[in-house]
Amino acid sequence: MSDVATLEEAVWEALAQVPDPEIPAVSVVDMGMIEAVAVTESRASVIVLPTFTGCPAIAVIESDVRDAVAAVPGIQDVEVQTTFTPPWTTARITNEGRNKLREFGLAPPTGTGPVLIDSIGLPRFAVCPFCGSKNTYNENPFGPTPCRALYYCKDCSNPFEQFKPI
Amino acid sequence: MTDPLVSMLLALADDELVLGHRHSEWTGFAPHIEEDVAFSSIAQDEIGHAAAYYSLVAKITGDDPDRLALGREKHEYRNAILCERANGDWGYTLARHWLYDHADALRLEALESSAHEELGPLVTKIRREERYHLLHADTWLKRVSQGPVEGRKRLADSIGIAFEESLGLFEPFEGEQDALSAGWIPVSSSELRQRFVRQVAEKLDALGLPTHMTSHAEEGAEFVASSSGDLIASDNGERSAPSADDGFGGRRGRRTPDFDALWEDMTSMYRTSPGARW
Repeated sequence: MSDVATLEEAVWEALAQVPDPEIPAVSVVDMGMIEAVAVTESRASVIVLPTFTGCPAIAVIESDVRDAVAAVPGIQDVEVQTTFTPPWTTARITNEGRNKLREFGLAPPTGTGPVLIDSIGLPRFAVCPFCGSKNTYNENPFGPTPCRALYYCKDCSNPFEQFKPI
Repeated sequence: MTDPLVSMLLALADDELVLGHRHSEWTGFAPHIEEDVAFSSIAQDEIGHAAAYYSLVAKITGDDPDRLALGREKHEYRNAILCERANGDWGYTLARHWLYDHADALRLEALESSAHEELGPLVTKIRREERYHLLHADTWLKRVSQGPVEGRKRLADSIGIAFEESLGLFEPFEGEQDALSAGWIPVSSSELRQRFVRQVAEKLDALGLPTHMTSHAEEGAEFVASSSGDLIASDNGERSAPSADDGFGGRRGRRTPDFDALWEDMTSMYRTSPGARW
């Protein structure tokens, strides 16, 4: 396979199979964490945007991305760069990613745009991923990982987590 | 002399690391399980921010971010003394958290337009995370200030104590004048301190909490860094130099006994086997 455009597509396909280590139902592509892929002859370079600054999975993601791309036939050399430029926001999660989060039992982030920094205050509710109810409340803006908040559904009486909008 | 950019980044990083470590001491011990989760998560955020700042320093100096965080001697840390104070009771913890995060927010607002091409976008990201910390701190302050008398009194007393030391967050770092000229930070510590004092006074007043110490602070001396890095009072100042116990000196490496225990604990694993890989 010598066609670079095709090789680049193959790299994207490989990346679409790399799970988020903490939420294996979604891939790094679903999460919008891949900022760019460039292929020059047999060399691929990938730019990865971490979701949260303090995410302990960053090193694992880099290594998984490197392994997945290195396994693409025709790729000899892989460079993975992690950067905060541009900053990742929850607006980058694809619609498919949002559906997969919901199926996984994690409410997708509220809204589709990046959250305004000055707008202090959480959304009053998150949509329950189990029963679809909006009759829910935020129990804690912090959760078991930096990216999750805790909610409770008053209709189906389940606690659930939301991917925090940032 | 240390590169002023490095000096600035280390002050930021050390504040976040040391206070992050203090917050993490609530893991398993907070008075409410949701607060156990909250302080653990905030700690993880702060230590993550510190790691990002240390990585920027490492790119400039060729050092190792882990060594910067955990492999330095006590006097090499540049955090404000407020950050190293023991957690004390829940009132002090909340007072310091609230003061620190409001001070940090003002500093980050300024740093978002830093001339450093990687720092600005990093700070944009950090601010999105920090808004949750502010939300948490503001919610608690409101709750306790409107609650029973004892809690309100303990919070007010703690704010009085922590406020004095919170001004140490705005002690100029070594080489600040050069950092300002280079645009690494567009606003001076002294200007940030004035904004902070004004903001704290307004917010405390709105909550019906005492504000007398803020009016004292606004009258106080302006401190500027001399060429040796020591603080001297500017011309309009009343005090000739900060005393040893007023929360200043952290940016020059002065450490209190509270830091000794924290340092022993925080760096023990690293010192057991420096450079170990996981």
